[in-house]
Amino acid sequence: MVDHLLLMLWHALLVSVFFAFLWRRSTRDRLRLFGKAFALMAVGSVVLGWLMYVVP
Amino acid sequence: MTKEAGRGTGGSEPIRKRAAPLLLLAAWLVPGVGHWILGKRRRAIVFFAIVVCAFVTGVVIDGELGTPRPGEPFSWLATLACLGNGLLYLGRLAWINGLSGALGGIPFGLDGGGDPVAVGFTYGNTFLYTGGLMNLLLVLDVSDIARGEKD
Repeated sequence: MVDHLLLMLWHALLVSVFFAFLWRRSTRDRLRLFGKAFALMAVGSVVLGWLMYVVP
Repeated sequence: MTKEAGRGTGGSEPIRKRAAPLLLLAAWLVPGVGHWILGKRRRAIVFFAIVVCAFVTGVVIDGELGTPRPGEPFSWLATLACLGNGLLYLGRLAWINGLSGALGGIPFGLDGGGDPVAVGFTYGNTFLYTGGLMNLLLVLDVSDIARGEKD
């Protein structure tokens, strides 16, 4: 079963954790970057998806 | 794991180092191994898990490994991205084509697997590309750590 939203969230999760560990060293900083990146990708994708409705 | 390759004058000029090629090769072949060798064990495990998860997800939902195709320049970019997965990519190609088929099919006779009409095809491709590109970033990170530019 392939759920587009779940796949997008799974992708965002993997990429967010990856960059959190690649670019930050402390747990606190990693959590902050993870939260920002994940939220940006997850929410941003949904918003962009809705905006595409008005694009012919 | 590093060796000096610079021409330091002994003054204030920083000594330039170069990461060992074998270290970078290992980092490319198996995600996270470069960090493991450099003593960054926790990061190594996380990176290994992430790249493997991305690759396996891509394969499971019928993504296609990038392989070169004649007359399609972008297929080379897809190949480069997927090649970043290291042994995962090479092993999957050997699995699909057979070892002799994979070796004999270079460069234009390789089958990348996947199912173009599957629902997850483009998603799968994205996961495969992402996994490879993340591993290439890891190789650069290993190089930086080995040269002492990062911790």
